[in-house]
Amino acid sequence: MAVSPALLFMDRNLLARKQNARLDKQNDLGWKLFGKVPLRENAQKDSKKIQKEYEDKAGRPSKPPSPKQNVRKNLDFEPLSTTALILEDRPANLPAKPAEEAQKHRQQYEEMVVQAKKRELKEAQRRKKQLEERCRVEESIGNAVLTWNNEILPNWETMWCSRKVRDLWWQGIPPSVRGKVWSLAIGNELNITHELFDICLARAKERWRSLSTGGSEVENEDAGFSAADREASLELIKLDISRTFPNLCIFQQGGPYHDMLHSILGAYTCYRPDVGYVQGMSFVAAVLILNLDTADAFIAFSNLLNKPCQMAFFRVDHGLMLTYFAAFEVFFEENLPKLFAHFKKNNLTPDIYLIDWIFTLYSKSLPLDLACRIWDVFCRDGEEFLFRTALGVLKLFEDILTKMDFIHMAQFLTRLPEGLPAEELFTSIATVQMQSRNKKWAQVLTALQKDSREMEKGSPSLRH
Amino acid sequence: MGSEQSSVRMDEDVLTTLKILIIGESGVGKSSLLLRFTVDTFDPELAATIGVDFKVKTISMDGNKVKLAIWNTAGQERLRTLTPRYYRSAQGVILLYDVTRRDTFVILNNWLNELETYCARNDIVNMLLGNTVDKENREFDRNKGLKFARKHSMFFVEASAKTCDGVQCAFEELVEKIIQTPGLWESETQSKGVKLSHREEGHGGAACGSY
Repeated sequence: MAVSPALLFMDRNLLARKQNARLDKQNDLGWKLFGKVPLRENAQKDSKKIQKEYEDKAGRPSKPPSPKQNVRKNLDFEPLSTTALILEDRPANLPAKPAEEAQKHRQQYEEMVVQAKKRELKEAQRRKKQLEERCRVEESIGNAVLTWNNEILPNWETMWCSRKVRDLWWQGIPPSVRGKVWSLAIGNELNITHELFDICLARAKERWRSLSTGGSEVENEDAGFSAADREASLELIKLDISRTFPNLCIFQQGGPYHDMLHSILGAYTCYRPDVGYVQGMSFVAAVLILNLDTADAFIAFSNLLNKPCQMAFFRVDHGLMLTYFAAFEVFFEENLPKLFAHFKKNNLTPDIYLIDWIFTLYSKSLPLDLACRIWDVFCRDGEEFLFRTALGVLKLFEDILTKMDFIHMAQFLTRLPEGLPAEELFTSIATVQMQSRNKKWAQVLTALQKDSREMEKGSPSLRH
Repeated sequence: MGSEQSSVRMDEDVLTTLKILIIGESGVGKSSLLLRFTVDTFDPELAATIGVDFKVKTISMDGNKVKLAIWNTAGQERLRTLTPRYYRSAQGVILLYDVTRRDTFVILNNWLNELETYCARNDIVNMLLGNTVDKENREFDRNKGLKFARKHSMFFVEASAKTCDGVQCAFEELVEKIIQTPGLWESETQSKGVKLSHREEGHGGAACGSY
């Protein structure tokens, strides 16, 4: 590429002077100094645009940076506009550059252009790669959706436990079929119908009405304990709904999902008055609402909470919860003996971090999309996967945790780092062995349950 | 990494680590108070605490560094059966109520029973804190809280996690009182012979409005 004598503009003094000139004539269209030579092929920007770009690069006119820096900066980041700037003649009213200097500048300029082109090419390649990667991901999601819709869902009973489906499942269920797959995987052991949901909801609405109209009666001392408890439940639901995924701003009063969440939690307290509302439920219901219609979300919610582990926790069955923690510790020690010893030494018991993780099924402690992927496998593998996930998290942060004392560990685990990488966590979970001395999770849990029952019989004073 | 190093270094010259427990009904602002105290921010829509949540903060008291391990508990009664053992070895307790919510005040007796039942020692420092004093619709005036606190020999502070009012004071007050209680805490640097400056008894930090 031919280079014009305009390289003269590399001259420091001249450029500085020119900048001063620019300060005086800020409103002029283009730079008078550049007016004489027509723009070259790759510099077809109009002078106004060039000036604008130059001003942007140079910063505020009142405080111009060193001109050399400007040129360098331009070349580094915007080769096109730089070309436009440099391919101009030196003004006629100024003496010409010496030949060798011009030659030197020409050479430097050419080198810079080559470098700039290289950079541009590299950047273009990077962008292309990024785009390809995104396309690949989108295509694989698209393919997965097709596979789920056309192959797996129509043949659910025969296919769901096949190797192929399990592999696809592990990679995460596409959001568009997630709710459907969750519903199928959770099942409907309780045989809840949409009608039953409507009945429960109607009853809940009645209660809310009587609560809001008969406010003075509520405070009567002779109000039965269970009624008071129920009212406390309904009050707490109201309080908690706006505190469910507050960052999403969709469950708050007036938000699009507020009423749905209110309905499901209210209907559940009527469906299972013996369980009622327990904090943490609002998160579970909210995740379901994000993936299912209200009635289907209620069906999934009730069935999910009816699983042994969830029942133990939401009924706050202390003894059974301790059994779950004990089972967890068996696998903890098996998988991460060093960290396990460190936790023991610091008296960090599993309840400290597991309560939040199990009650909310990780939806509060992990980023929502990652939590949904945990739910995917949880719906397939059951409670065991919740504890496996916990071990995966501990394993992922083992090195950091072993350097901490009790309070720092507790603080860390009850508020996991934001933006926890999904792939790394799943890789970590995959390496967790859910077998201890040839015993699987369910076997270990059953054995421990038997033990604790016998202990209870032996010393009733230990019962809660 | 840097923070890790600094926390280790800090540990070397802290006088002691104190365990502070925050309790009170659901939604009275326990997490908000803690957020204000530890990182000086306010978020009107904090997620509900499930189980227990932890924060650590080192503060300076009369030139001595004191590390606070703060345990913030869930407020729902149902979940409270999980927390008895969390009371163990606490040196200070902050019991919160919401000055605009009658239910959170009338239930304070239940909380005191809980404290009595589960706290192994009786010299633990208790503080009653009326939160959300920034709100217009206050149901309880200051005297009511003060009277209740006096009756149960607790410190009393009114505060607002939202406006920051009284928050720092509350914690400083509590820590000061704990430090002044002999036998309640143990120095982690006893070998270094750190001595506390003598403070007059009965000084309750009138500047903060506690008695």
